[in-house]
Amino acid sequence: MRGIETLFRKTWPYWIAGIILALINIALMAYISSPWRVTSVFLYWGTWMLDRIGIHGVADSYVRVYGNSLDINEAVVIVYLTIVNIGVVLGAVLSTLVSSDFKFKKIKNKKQLLYGIAGGVMMGYGARIALGCNIGAYFSAIPSFSLHGWVFGLFMFVGTWIGCKLLYKNMI
Amino acid sequence: MAEFKLDCMHETCPIPLLKAVKALKKMELGDVLIMLTDHNCSISNVIEWVEKQGHKMDYMEIGQGEWEIYIEKARK
Repeated sequence: MRGIETLFRKTWPYWIAGIILALINIALMAYISSPWRVTSVFLYWGTWMLDRIGIHGVADSYVRVYGNSLDINEAVVIVYLTIVNIGVVLGAVLSTLVSSDFKFKKIKNKKQLLYGIAGGVMMGYGARIALGCNIGAYFSAIPSFSLHGWVFGLFMFVGTWIGCKLLYKNMI
Repeated sequence: MAEFKLDCMHETCPIPLLKAVKALKKMELGDVLIMLTDHNCSISNVIEWVEKQGHKMDYMEIGQGEWEIYIEKARK
């Protein structure tokens, strides 16, 4: 039991996590012939929900121009990206449970809530106009020898630098 | 030998650490900073930073998943 406890309680080094992520991405690539992506599925979910309530064609041109449309037999709910995303959340919950770190976090104040929502909207919008988030357009792009991963990475660091400055000025 | 309190409840990385860095800058040698946090990453990254800086520190779990970190400023 002691071995299991030290295995899950202690933080793993970054390089071990990096190797595990790379191996999982290779397995995913071999299985579904596409590297790991996260945010495209939110577009499918969003347009699917809008379709259900009678608002059609909101993202049609976006979907057509950038080839983000689903194949005819790919239902939105069972599209593999949805399953992968659910897996990410379940895996994260599992890892907090086995390290007994699970805890519901409260919201400290309105400012924290507002910053969180604003940050989330900006990240979501940015990920879609950049045609990917830090997974699809960075983590999966660089091992594919695609130049866009490096361009994305460069500007991600610029964005992080600006974000840190704003955080330090307004939240600390 | 003044004592300072720092409320970092419900805040996540890296805010508690940055707050501690800022608070310690204003303190005199021998002053004690008491940080209250419910973020377990703070335990590891605040402790790592404080030990690297050469200050004295200790921490205690005061409730389920809530800690107090005591830092004594030992170096300029």
